[in-house]
Amino acid sequence: MAKRVDSTSAGSVDRRKFLKGAAAGAAGAASAIAGTASAQQGAPASTRPVTRPTEADARADFVPPEPRPGAQFIRHPGSDYMVDVLKALDFDYVAVNPGSAFEGLHESLINHGGNRKPEILTVLHEEAGAAMAHGYAKAAGKPMMTLMHGTVGLLHASMGLFHAWCDRVPVFAIVGQPRNPTSVINRPHSAQDMGSIVRDFMKMDDEPTNLDVFANIAMRAYTIGLTPPRGPTLLVVDSELQEAPIPDPAKLTVPRLSMPSMPQGDSGAVKEAARLLASAERPLIRTGKLARTSAGWDRLLELAELLQTPVDVGGYGSWQDFPSWHALYGSGGADYRPDVILGLEINDMTPSVRGVRATGGKTISICSEYLSQGHNIHDFGNYSEVDVAIAADGEATLPSLIEEIRKQSPSSAARVRSARGAQIAAAHKAIRESEIDAARYGWNSGPVSVPRMVAELGRQIQNDDWAIVSGHQFTGQWQRRLLNHDKFYRYNGDSGGFGIGYDTPASVGGALAHREHGRLPIAIVGDGDFNFVGAGALWTAAHHKIPLLVIVHNNRAYHAEVMLVQRTASRRGRGNDMVDIGNVIRDPAPDYAKIAQGYGVYAEGPITDPAALAPALERALARVRAGEPALLDVISQPRGPT
Amino acid sequence: MKNRRRATVACAALAAGILVGATLSAQQGQTVAGDAARGKPLFADTFNCYACHGFDAQSGERRLVPLNYTQEGFITFVQSSPLPNMPAFPDASPQQLADIYAYIRTIPADAPALGDVPLLREILERKARVAAE
Repeated sequence: MAKRVDSTSAGSVDRRKFLKGAAAGAAGAASAIAGTASAQQGAPASTRPVTRPTEADARADFVPPEPRPGAQFIRHPGSDYMVDVLKALDFDYVAVNPGSAFEGLHESLINHGGNRKPEILTVLHEEAGAAMAHGYAKAAGKPMMTLMHGTVGLLHASMGLFHAWCDRVPVFAIVGQPRNPTSVINRPHSAQDMGSIVRDFMKMDDEPTNLDVFANIAMRAYTIGLTPPRGPTLLVVDSELQEAPIPDPAKLTVPRLSMPSMPQGDSGAVKEAARLLASAERPLIRTGKLARTSAGWDRLLELAELLQTPVDVGGYGSWQDFPSWHALYGSGGADYRPDVILGLEINDMTPSVRGVRATGGKTISICSEYLSQGHNIHDFGNYSEVDVAIAADGEATLPSLIEEIRKQSPSSAARVRSARGAQIAAAHKAIRESEIDAARYGWNSGPVSVPRMVAELGRQIQNDDWAIVSGHQFTGQWQRRLLNHDKFYRYNGDSGGFGIGYDTPASVGGALAHREHGRLPIAIVGDGDFNFVGAGALWTAAHHKIPLLVIVHNNRAYHAEVMLVQRTASRRGRGNDMVDIGNVIRDPAPDYAKIAQGYGVYAEGPITDPAALAPALERALARVRAGEPALLDVISQPRGPT
Repeated sequence: MKNRRRATVACAALAAGILVGATLSAQQGQTVAGDAARGKPLFADTFNCYACHGFDAQSGERRLVPLNYTQEGFITFVQSSPLPNMPAFPDASPQQLADIYAYIRTIPADAPALGDVPLLREILERKARVAAE
């Protein structure tokens, strides 16, 4: 053990030098001011010249990094072993906004790990880093890491981690913990219980005390995060544990990852669910966050076609789960009264229960939320009186449910179901036609209507392997209506927590996942969303050459909120002429194209004329197809028609 | 359960009361002369109707063009909307709403026939093909 440098005395020496330099500088500055004043009064100027600081002065002013135990040449720092463990978890990327609490790990990732698997993704805000990891995990089917500075970095990231929690998506987060901080800077970055800052929306957090425990906790965090109901996990990593040499490297081994199988439904309950579905006259499937992988998508398609039942993919917050132009996509039409509703990964079945109870119908819920251990956030929905409640992962349970339905289906089932499917298809055809009819309104209006924006995009990408990597909270159902979501990865879902700021950075993460497959990623983001951490996320896309088209759906306001204030003002009888205060983003209107250009991204806009949209899309998409990000600022109508 | 039933009855009575009141305020059976020029700023600024219905009253949620309400029905509905996504505007005077009504009626429908929008026609045809597969 090397002799520990006394930090207090070292600090005081530096401070003395700094103060001495500062005093000299202040004297010089005072002279300069006096000289200027004298010159203005016509008096002789001060003869003392203002000199530039010498290199020695500058060196004396430099405050060296905090002394560390064993500040010496370290051949095997603990953070090298941490990187070996992280490599065993097969991460491809880690989002980093640098911080001294993890500088050991940062250096090991670069020099010991070779900046490969994981490769560092430089982010300009920790919230953006967490959102990128969130979007990446859904598109890639595997988690990404995000690395944060103590307290401040974690607090910045907290909103992104919260969204991942609400969306039931794993994000592998590590926060540095400055141990025994002596500098005034790092004291606020250390905490007695760092994990408690975000514990309300993390599936687990822990602070390993030695390297063996680090490996153990890292494996646990990974497996717990990926086991439904999934969620983000946090490791708090002591700065001294990163820096200290490994006592005996030969004795440390990297554990092998052992992923548990996903929880499947109890066989008796699955049989009962199959019996109800096989004998139902008008079954309906509703999904929430079902398809974790393309296998879940395939199995749902198989189930729907086997039963010839409509599939009602939920609205905001739901994943895609089922092809949007399929004849069975929808709820069967206005006259379809389901007698059995199967909910797959829907955490609140109350509307379904209410819907069928009056007619003696039954409800089945297969949902991993039943396995949740409880938490502070009220995102788990109402308790629902379903008839068959199965605590299991929906995707993992579908194969046994399908097999059981086949076994229990009478020989006449195929004919009956085929007739049902034809009726549903006819009802859905009428709905499709009315939706397209609604898209005509405002077709040539400026600002651009939402359906026009989506339809023009669809025409340009119909021969590409595209993926919408943003949510659809602010474009209504128009993406699903006008773009054929015929593959699992076509749509990456919303934030989950309905907070603003997710769409742009999460889209960069989703686009990163699609890059290796050569897909064309597109994001349609609200201007309100973009203004949070979106612009900085664009820089990450430019820096790391992540192809992505960002269309800013720019209605220059938080329009959903206008109506809420209107309602309140009306209730109180106070008039409505002031309700745009606090809700609109104009005077001056931000120029998002210029902002993007400033971050090195190709951009055009503002585009107000619908006729100008197609050529602008063509130019921007050419850039994206060539491998770079691009942005179009489209001045749009406040909302899409229903 | 009893309490819930009482509450439902009370809500229904309240809604009925609002509707009756609103109808009276609109002076049932009488039309008010509306001025489209006055209606435009009322639509866009005073009541911020555009925020949901679109700058052109037809690109948003819900579409107001073509407007199928009678003037009296329009005034009654806007003053006492029971819909969760449409605030009631009890303070809006019948004259103001008549002006807005007149303005909306002057807005031509920007809805070209499907045959004149090849893009939408193509989407509809492709959707039909995919659904038939």
